[in-house]
Amino acid sequence: MRKVILGTWQDKIIDNRHKEKHLINDEFPELEDFEGGNRIKAFVGWDGFFIFDLDVPVIDMMRAYVEKVQEESCGYCTPCRVGTKIVADKLRDMTNGLGREEDLRTIKRLARVIRDTSMCELGHTSMTALLKIMELMPKEFEEAIKNRRMMRKGAYRAIATAPCIEACPAHLDIPSYIDAIRGGNYYESLAIIARKNPLAGICGRVCVRPCEFVCRRAELDEPISIKYLKRFVNDQILSYAAARSKKAETVPVRSDKQVAVIGAGPCGMTAAFYLKQKGFSVEVFEELNEPGGMSAVGIPDYRLPREVIQAEVRRIMETGVKFTYGMRIGSDKTLEDLKGKYDAVLIAIGAHKSKDVGMQGEQEKPEGYISGVKFLRDLNTLHHIGEFDPPGGTHLVVVGGGNVAMDCARSAKRLGYSKVSVIYRRTEKEMPADEEEIREAKHEGVEFNFLTNPTGMKIKDGKVTGLTCIQMELGEPDQSGRRRPIEIKGSDFHLDCDILIPAIGQAVDLSLFTQNFPVKTTKWGTVVVDEETMMTDQNGVFAGGDCVSGPKALIDAMSQGLHVAHCIDQYLGGQPMNMPENERMFRLIKAMKLPQAPVNRVGNKPRCNLESRPIEERIMDFDEIEGGYKPKEAIREAERCLRCYRIAMFVTEE
Amino acid sequence: MSIMVKTEKKVTLIIDGQKITVPDTITILEAAQKAGIRIPTLCYHPALAAIGSCRICIVEIEGVDRPATACNTEALEGMKVTTRSERLFDLRREVIKMILAHHPLNCSPCPENGDCELQDLAYEYDLAAMDFNDYHIQTEGFPWKPFSTPILDYHPRRCILCGRCVKVCSEIRGLGAITMSGSGAKAVIQPVMADEQTPSLCISCGECMRVCPVNAIEETMGGIKGKPWETKRVQTTCGYCGVGCQLDLNVVNNQVVGVTTRDDVGVNKGRLCSKGRFGYTFIHSEDRLRRPLVRNEEGKLEETTWTRALMKVAREFKRIKKEHGPDSLGGLSSARCTNEENYLFQRLIRQVFGTNNVDHCARL
Repeated sequence: MRKVILGTWQDKIIDNRHKEKHLINDEFPELEDFEGGNRIKAFVGWDGFFIFDLDVPVIDMMRAYVEKVQEESCGYCTPCRVGTKIVADKLRDMTNGLGREEDLRTIKRLARVIRDTSMCELGHTSMTALLKIMELMPKEFEEAIKNRRMMRKGAYRAIATAPCIEACPAHLDIPSYIDAIRGGNYYESLAIIARKNPLAGICGRVCVRPCEFVCRRAELDEPISIKYLKRFVNDQILSYAAARSKKAETVPVRSDKQVAVIGAGPCGMTAAFYLKQKGFSVEVFEELNEPGGMSAVGIPDYRLPREVIQAEVRRIMETGVKFTYGMRIGSDKTLEDLKGKYDAVLIAIGAHKSKDVGMQGEQEKPEGYISGVKFLRDLNTLHHIGEFDPPGGTHLVVVGGGNVAMDCARSAKRLGYSKVSVIYRRTEKEMPADEEEIREAKHEGVEFNFLTNPTGMKIKDGKVTGLTCIQMELGEPDQSGRRRPIEIKGSDFHLDCDILIPAIGQAVDLSLFTQNFPVKTTKWGTVVVDEETMMTDQNGVFAGGDCVSGPKALIDAMSQGLHVAHCIDQYLGGQPMNMPENERMFRLIKAMKLPQAPVNRVGNKPRCNLESRPIEERIMDFDEIEGGYKPKEAIREAERCLRCYRIAMFVTEE
Repeated sequence: MSIMVKTEKKVTLIIDGQKITVPDTITILEAAQKAGIRIPTLCYHPALAAIGSCRICIVEIEGVDRPATACNTEALEGMKVTTRSERLFDLRREVIKMILAHHPLNCSPCPENGDCELQDLAYEYDLAAMDFNDYHIQTEGFPWKPFSTPILDYHPRRCILCGRCVKVCSEIRGLGAITMSGSGAKAVIQPVMADEQTPSLCISCGECMRVCPVNAIEETMGGIKGKPWETKRVQTTCGYCGVGCQLDLNVVNNQVVGVTTRDDVGVNKGRLCSKGRFGYTFIHSEDRLRRPLVRNEEGKLEETTWTRALMKVAREFKRIKKEHGPDSLGGLSSARCTNEENYLFQRLIRQVFGTNNVDHCARL
């Protein structure tokens, strides 16, 4: 950890160059080593820079930064395309001892023009650090021109990022695929998505979209509909390919190494896709008779039609990944068998076991008591073939406030229960479910009982007849930052119901680990992996997805799949295993918690919303609620993107 | 944006101190044009949606630090816009300098010389080669690459990447056959290739060439083009089909050297297909039939007069009809004829020849 010697960010300037150690102002972030033993000497960013070690070659550093800007510039607007090229050339001349007095004036003039007239944030922010450094360290530049010597070069690692890219667990290049949509290049757009995400159709429907919550367009009007744009390109290309019966290209096997993936869920499919792209033979084993894992059996069809999942899997299969369904590792085959036959094994089994609420009567497993995970799984696997037999009754109660609880409640409404209620122990504000899900559930007639906690079940003749509940109030915030619910003494009340669905969390089914083949797990029942290598304590056995992180969003599992594919590739290639450099930079940027500058632009174009089916119609069936964007709408939506690209650069020792 | 729902709402804004009331769906540039205020533009083209790439139409808006482009910023209620100031002049001048730093300045041999929007801007903003003394930009080499069609040639060094060609291809032609690729100063316009097997989507209409302001997309047909001041533009109707597109034949020394169009003329409003735009070289072809020819008794073609030629044709038709009956004859007319000519043609075949064997090439 080192302190900032000279730094500036937005309006703040810190100059510790001539200060005693104890007077050092440490308002600014401290950075850890880039990787073990490789110190970070400086950071150059979009609103300023931090120098931790005055030994850095300042002019060469800025040359590297502007060259990166020029490399990332899309070439669309003049100032960024040509201006940064001229500035980069001038700085390169200077580092080669060819700088001239007037170059300094030219650089400053051009830098201001680029800052003021560029189209997107890449140009707007590209010159900030340079202008500030020329102001704070003028001597360096004057000496460079006087001495006319070749300059030392440093070690630089730079990345083009944006708030949405940083927020996305898989770090999808969002502005770039939106740009491709704006230009009408849907192929290119999907290709950009597929670099990090092979399941655009699934993600474009059910992603929890962390990117949209940080979208800076929200400051002007509303965030960009990133999720729907992703869905749009995927559906466009898919229907185009289907109409021409086009198939994805089969990737030739380039390695004799074989990989087994357990679980065809989001993590397993993502990892299988990228491992196949790298040329390995990949086989996926799935317990269920269909692909998708939790995305197939945990999400009802009205949100994510199974045809979409199947189309995605078909595309992955066409690249040459083998899928075996109905094969449970642990009973049909053991983990040991796989380890013996394959060079690497990936465990991506998800979290399919339900958690108990911890109330009276649960152990008896009475009729009418069915866990949320099981309810959705039965519904999703059996309903479309007409074999689902919903539990009898009229009043169905769901306990929990997450997306699974919403899925259960909204599905129940579609199954025709006359009354569907959700019981949640905190208030609506604390609910972890997606806002949109809660809103739609309310529209569809689901009742909500907030600040209510079930304490026991009323059972008669082995059948659920009611619930005893207690009122809660909110106390102090807990570790998650949400206010902790506290019981109000003596507020117990009774609630009649026929069916009770607890949906308060899921656990990992660890039965595939045996005494002969133990794998280390945590006390929460998740698999332990090394954070960098994603490998379990068994050599060659990797794990990813919900079974490692506990139940999390789809995109989290997919990002783990992407990461684990990288690790398995390194492992099978016999390379030293480490995190991809970009991932490391994203983590460092996140750790710095840099404040965001306000958007100073004109804008008044609200987002383009999707048309959804009327409520009376949609609660009658499980068909998809929303139609996707039409091309014109999508292009209009894409045009709203501000392209908040920015370059971050780390100067390291080596 | 044209796709926005049209409402009757009006907004009032102030441009250069002038109060202007306009519909709320239009941009600052359009509002200024309505009020007769000129904002310099380069990538803007009236037939296309705003592009916003050249950054010359920047204006100052009160309350916003950074200048905004007038062509794609919508006019909002209460906006106070300044289109002319010292700062804007300097910024625009610098931007034009940047464009010119990447564009060859040997205007004299260029066929666009004298009719070039970039040249006009350089003149307006008082720019000349001496202003680039300190911009010794190290241009990358651009190796020649085939464009989307052999009829057109693309010159990356002349190209100012305004993006009009890409826009016209996707917006007007609905093809998206070309796109911008590469990054930074290496960016170029390139044909779109969906994959290796799929050929380019280009239909050789040449619309990209029409909207190019700097002759970066040039046709490979015909000979030397001539300068605008020595070119006579003769307006005519395209003879290739019945649509009746208007075009200007460019005539130099009594030779047709090319076809241009005007944006506001005719049903086509400046647009043409590949036949209309590039199908003019036949005019001066050596192989062209200039006088009627009739085969003599030895079977050789001989020049003759129209009267004699037509007499012979009529005589022969009558003979065939008499010897073999009317159904031994038939007529096939051309799409290059007008409606009226086609009508008369079928009357001739039906009533004079006495047969229903009549058809038209467009039906085949």
